[in-house]
Amino acid sequence: MEGFLSTYGAAIVQMALAGVLALSLYLPLMAGQLSLASPGFYAVGGYVAALLSTQVFTGYPNGAYPIPLIALEMVVAGAISALFALIIGIPSLRLRGIYLALATIAFVEVLRVFALNQPWLGGAVGIYNIPQPFFSATRVEYLVLALPLLVGAALFVARLERSRIGRAFVALREDELAASAVGIRPTYYKVLAFTLGAILAGMAGALNAHILNTWNARQGTFDLAILILAYVLVGGSRTFLGPIIGGAFLVALPEIILREVAGTPGLNPAIAAFLRDGRLILFGVLIAVSVFFFPYGLITPNLFKRRRKPPVAPLEATKATPKVSRGEL
Amino acid sequence: MKLVDQSSQQYRRLWWFASRGFAAVLLVLLVTSILTTPGGLQNLFNGLAIGGVYAIFALGYTLIFSILRIINFAHGAVFTLGAYFTYFLTGSAVGFNGLLANQQLPFGLPFPIAMIGGGILAGLCGILIERVAFRPLRNKGADPLLTLVSSLGVAVAIVNVIQLLVGAEIYSYPRNPFGELPAALNLGTFGGLSQRPVIIRTIQVIIFAVSMVIVVLLTYFINATKTGKALRAVAEDATTSSLLGIDTNRLILITFFLSGLIGGIAGTLVGLSVNVSGPYFGINFGLKGLAVIVLGGLGDIPGAVVGGLVIGVAEAFVPSAQVAYKDAIAFAVLFLVLLLRPQGLLGRAVVQKV
Repeated sequence: MEGFLSTYGAAIVQMALAGVLALSLYLPLMAGQLSLASPGFYAVGGYVAALLSTQVFTGYPNGAYPIPLIALEMVVAGAISALFALIIGIPSLRLRGIYLALATIAFVEVLRVFALNQPWLGGAVGIYNIPQPFFSATRVEYLVLALPLLVGAALFVARLERSRIGRAFVALREDELAASAVGIRPTYYKVLAFTLGAILAGMAGALNAHILNTWNARQGTFDLAILILAYVLVGGSRTFLGPIIGGAFLVALPEIILREVAGTPGLNPAIAAFLRDGRLILFGVLIAVSVFFFPYGLITPNLFKRRRKPPVAPLEATKATPKVSRGEL
Repeated sequence: MKLVDQSSQQYRRLWWFASRGFAAVLLVLLVTSILTTPGGLQNLFNGLAIGGVYAIFALGYTLIFSILRIINFAHGAVFTLGAYFTYFLTGSAVGFNGLLANQQLPFGLPFPIAMIGGGILAGLCGILIERVAFRPLRNKGADPLLTLVSSLGVAVAIVNVIQLLVGAEIYSYPRNPFGELPAALNLGTFGGLSQRPVIIRTIQVIIFAVSMVIVVLLTYFINATKTGKALRAVAEDATTSSLLGIDTNRLILITFFLSGLIGGIAGTLVGLSVNVSGPYFGINFGLKGLAVIVLGGLGDIPGAVVGGLVIGVAEAFVPSAQVAYKDAIAFAVLFLVLLLRPQGLLGRAVVQKV
């Protein structure tokens, strides 16, 4: 157990954070909006936490940084991210499909270049020496904060899915015109979904700034946006559990290949070396393959439905009519 | 009851005139500012050279998008592959890292032929990507978003295969790839239009010329050949054209080949200008290419060319004090264009179908 935690502690915390980030992309997607802005808000959240803990709450130079202060920073980061989301979201959410995705990528990139060139954000080096509440190398203790964040976000989204707002989101996803005809205000609900997602991403960023100990412009980039999209689509984009499982799975996968599969005793050294050096090749191939074999993601709502009469017929029916409703990508 | 709302039609006409007028004023302002600022013409030429590469890079995206309505995220990886293929075809050796360390081809091709060869190999990789990542999902009738993710998976795999095989170091092409040409061309004051002498690197001229040749050839291919006509038909409506006897899958293969071909040549051209900076070489370009195609209107070929040139020139005009913000220009322009003209600079407005 001790060895397991020291090897995988950091990965487990990152798995939880990946789940939160995936939920932050899942929320706009629930309302039919493919937004790739999550890394932008994640970066904003990280910078907020980094600035607050190095400039404002400076009473703990060498001692343990109090956990409640991190929680406070996460709340502030969420609020500021929400503000950014409102400013960005209200003009850009009239775009649809791929155009919205690209506009949000533009936001992420502009933010990255801006952060890279601001001296008060540390420029290219970023803000470093962010105080930590724990002094262990594994950082597994951060689960104290990451797990409640993940569980809270999951419960929130799970409740949301069953609420009036969640049904409005789904209605917008399935048919925006019909939804607006029955009195659902598209702009209001889209901006709401976008902002809720931004809050989650900002909080994850704030926490990760402490975990990583340093924060710079490399933290919220286009690569991360695409990775988060992969979390959601590999996990499944029709229920809140999908993104969480997808995030955990894809974060754990390279680690497991590196440490477990490549370390199998008796393995041909050439294959072991390939597994170590080429694990990202396998990662890419597995993403492509899993999309092919699990087009609805690993987790689908059908998994939870009690099979009533013929289990085959409805499943076949859903397979036969692929939905092309998530924007015209 | 009137069928057409007169007032909205008048409003639309007014808007048409206002927007064209606004564009004309902007153009006049731009031209005068280019001619009056010191070094303006120099910036313009620098911008056109890099803009030409942006344009042909974006054409690779546009071709595939116009047919499949999907953005091929592996295009940046193909661009990188093209640059590496050209490098090896010139007979240069791999560096010290990677599985292929110190290997080299037994022969070396002259640079222009190596560039075309690299492009063709990149085009074949494009075909491979279509067969592996696109066609299986298309045959299943899967959500286009999933194809985007699988193309992304392929991109990750390609980048890491490159890293495993040849390492992450910087590669540069042999010196004087086009024989003993002068390194730069001094145009003097360009007939008194510029206060400072205008100097153009020979490589910039070559890059711009090659890009424009590609644009012209591609336009000819699409507008004047039978295959090009079939391509346009598939882009308009894939189902109807397949009912009319067009082999859609074959045309999609051709599209991927063409996209890979010009993507690979674009990679070589950029490598010529700034070296091949490792397996992630194409990723930054990939992002800018996205900005370019949206700027010009998705799936619109003249639009991609204009978008590329506009972004190249806009970047060249960033004052040297703010040069750090250069990379944000494309995206700032993209964001503004999306808000003001969501269909792109040259795109036509799409009526939302019910």
